[in-house]
Amino acid sequence: MEAYIYNLVNLIAIYAILAVTLNFIMGYAGIYSLAHAVFFGLGAYVAAWVALHVHPSIFVTLAAAMASAAALSLLLALPALRVRGEYFVAASLGLQVLAVTVFSEWKSFTGGIGGVLAIPPADVFGVEVFKPQHFAIVSLIALIVVIGLINALVHSSFGRNLRAIRDSESAAASFGKNVPMIKTLSVVISAALAAVAGALYASYMSFINVESFTLDTSVLVMAMVIIGGTGTVAGPIVGAALLMLLPSAISWIDFLPQTEVGALQQIIYGLGMTLLMIFRPGGIVGRRAGV
Amino acid sequence: MLAIQLAITGLQTGALYALTAVGFSLIFGSTRIFHFAHGATFVIAAYLFYWVYGTGWGLVPGVLAATLGAVFFGLVLDRLVYVPIQRHEGSFFTVFVASFGVGIAVQNVIGMIFGRGFTSVSTPLSRSAEIIPGVYVSPLAWIAMLCTALLLGGLHFFLRRTHTGAALRALADDPELVRTFGLNPRRIAATAFVVGSALVVPAAIITSATTGLNPTIGHHVMLISLAATIVGGIGSIPGTMLAGLLLGLAESLALLVVDSQWTEAVTFAILFAFIVIRPSGLLGRVVAH
Amino acid sequence: MTRTSPALGEPLMQIRKLDKSFGGVKAVQDVSLDLRAGIVTTLVGPNGAGKTTFFNLITGNLARDSGQVTWLGQDTAGLKPYRLARAGVGRTYQDLRLFDGMSVWENVLNATEHGAFPMPMSRAHRRGRRERMEHVLERTGLIDKRHTRAIDLAYAERKFLSMARIMATEARLWLLDEPASGLDPNSYERFLTILREDVAGGVTVCIIEHNLDIVVGISDRIAFLDRGKLLADGDPKTVLNDPELARIYFGDRA
Repeated sequence: MEAYIYNLVNLIAIYAILAVTLNFIMGYAGIYSLAHAVFFGLGAYVAAWVALHVHPSIFVTLAAAMASAAALSLLLALPALRVRGEYFVAASLGLQVLAVTVFSEWKSFTGGIGGVLAIPPADVFGVEVFKPQHFAIVSLIALIVVIGLINALVHSSFGRNLRAIRDSESAAASFGKNVPMIKTLSVVISAALAAVAGALYASYMSFINVESFTLDTSVLVMAMVIIGGTGTVAGPIVGAALLMLLPSAISWIDFLPQTEVGALQQIIYGLGMTLLMIFRPGGIVGRRAGV
Repeated sequence: MLAIQLAITGLQTGALYALTAVGFSLIFGSTRIFHFAHGATFVIAAYLFYWVYGTGWGLVPGVLAATLGAVFFGLVLDRLVYVPIQRHEGSFFTVFVASFGVGIAVQNVIGMIFGRGFTSVSTPLSRSAEIIPGVYVSPLAWIAMLCTALLLGGLHFFLRRTHTGAALRALADDPELVRTFGLNPRRIAATAFVVGSALVVPAAIITSATTGLNPTIGHHVMLISLAATIVGGIGSIPGTMLAGLLLGLAESLALLVVDSQWTEAVTFAILFAFIVIRPSGLLGRVVAH
Repeated sequence: MTRTSPALGEPLMQIRKLDKSFGGVKAVQDVSLDLRAGIVTTLVGPNGAGKTTFFNLITGNLARDSGQVTWLGQDTAGLKPYRLARAGVGRTYQDLRLFDGMSVWENVLNATEHGAFPMPMSRAHRRGRRERMEHVLERTGLIDKRHTRAIDLAYAERKFLSMARIMATEARLWLLDEPASGLDPNSYERFLTILREDVAGGVTVCIIEHNLDIVVGISDRIAFLDRGKLLADGDPKTVLNDPELARIYFGDRA
């Protein structure tokens, strides 16, 4: 039972990092991305490769993961953010679909559909961390650091600029803001921090494959952000916890075959998102109808 | 020879892409609603046809079921989801998310009912005949192209020559203008959903008999519709149609160079190229911010 | 950018032969105008005359077909709107475009924050900025609502917030698009007072306005635009007394 709880804590922490970082661009900047799992996956694969071939120190893998995600996100953001929001959604959807193909085909780097096995556990200052209860310390610290960073940004002029851009891009430009650059920066930050979750995931699970980085995952993270509440600090964390606990809650339904748990989970959060948008767009934590 | 074969297959696929994408473009262009559940409309139409036709009811009931299902779904979504949202806030975000949520729910419900594997409708029409040595074409290919030509031609007539059509074109730019025509903007928006959703039906039916169905096909349909709308130029239906054809052809001809799992990448590459080089698309209007 | 004040009347912005068509319809035709230091120029004209389009062409929100705009001696061709804003040209919008999700305070604060990166500021600098902002909010009557979200403000308050934003910047030219439309008479008075104080403080203003009380109360010069063409540009009395222009303005035309 204990191991089960620690496992859940680790996974919730990892997905909470994904949700918090997606909320940064969706809730504050108004940039809707369907490609968040791409940076999660890239971070994981890069961290795994570095841990296997260079050094398993978590600081090395994190740095490599963040750098690669930042670079890829620049490629996506620079052109796609110059134009209207719908374009970015389309481009991110395309990138996500493309990424799944690349992840499945690039056998030398990602192990293809088979994935990457025997990833060394995280090395923190020389100590190998592999037990769930010990890793929970690492993942929670990482979550706290990420939240702290995002929070600091949100309450700074950068955060206000993002919200200004979300509310009126033209007015923001009239007050001297370089809108494309600010949006690009926010996407890069969001992607780099999502890669942190990927690196943690790789060393925790010691096995990764493309199934964890598909469009379904991007959608799940988006659902976490929306159901928890965009534009708030607690929202994404609440959403992450809720949706990670959902499968367990569903499996209590007796007559439901195991194979359908995933489908029911998706139906619940799919309809949940729709209903929330009609009645309470702010999500569970956010405010009632309104911004 | 292979190139010709692929070109014809590409035109067949492209014709169906054009139909579906124009449906989306019509809805988005006139109501400004980012109807991400358009892919779900396709899935519903396809599976309804598969079910009705497959259980022996025949072609006409199958087509009828698919059409009614698609149109009903589009209307219900508009009335029960989009209208309430637009009443209190209606930002791009809320509409998109709501639409998306419905799409996911539909995909999974269909999966629970029909299973997640690939299914298809068997019909003699999908059997290919060798028209010239080395090139095999099935009657469905011609049907697809004919359907597309007829329906899009009809749409063109409807948009250019009827009052409702003109109102549809005016709706996005100037809802007030619609009122001066003596028409109700809300009702015109609903018309957009009816027509736009109905357009996917032939594409859905033919796809069920050719490439086959599975519940996740909605994502692919949505990506294509989005890509075609952007590549063709937001606000231009002829552009979207052209782009749909282009994407179908490109996807098919790409097989000359890459393996089949990379064809979606081709779509993304074209989409990305246009976003970078020519965001206004093939025939779109350049819109100031 | 030098801080020496230009002589009164010296042209800060020179607009020459601006042209813009939308699919065959000429929205702005061959418009030339000087915006001079310390002078309030009012742009008047019937609806659809192209006034807002004219502003959009100046700021770069809309690409011009031909013509030239010079700001402080520099040609602004190819300059993105945000760069022109940083160079001292501020503007408000007819539909306000407030940052609705943020509070009054945040709206005004953000108007002063140009850079993409948060800049470290000395305590003195920060205090000075806060005092300036409080002063602006007092003048616009919003000081008690500083923590209210923009979207929750009353109509008049929203219009004043739009002004407060631009007042907080260091812009030397203000392009104001119908800043006072729909205000009650008391608010008009307050608005006029604010504007007069800022002009006296050295701001140059170009204002689009329909309300003749405001036009009469504040203009040093009037430019009359009709169907994209500049029909008159001069002394308020002359322009306002022209019967031909009055006929066009009040809608009696063929």
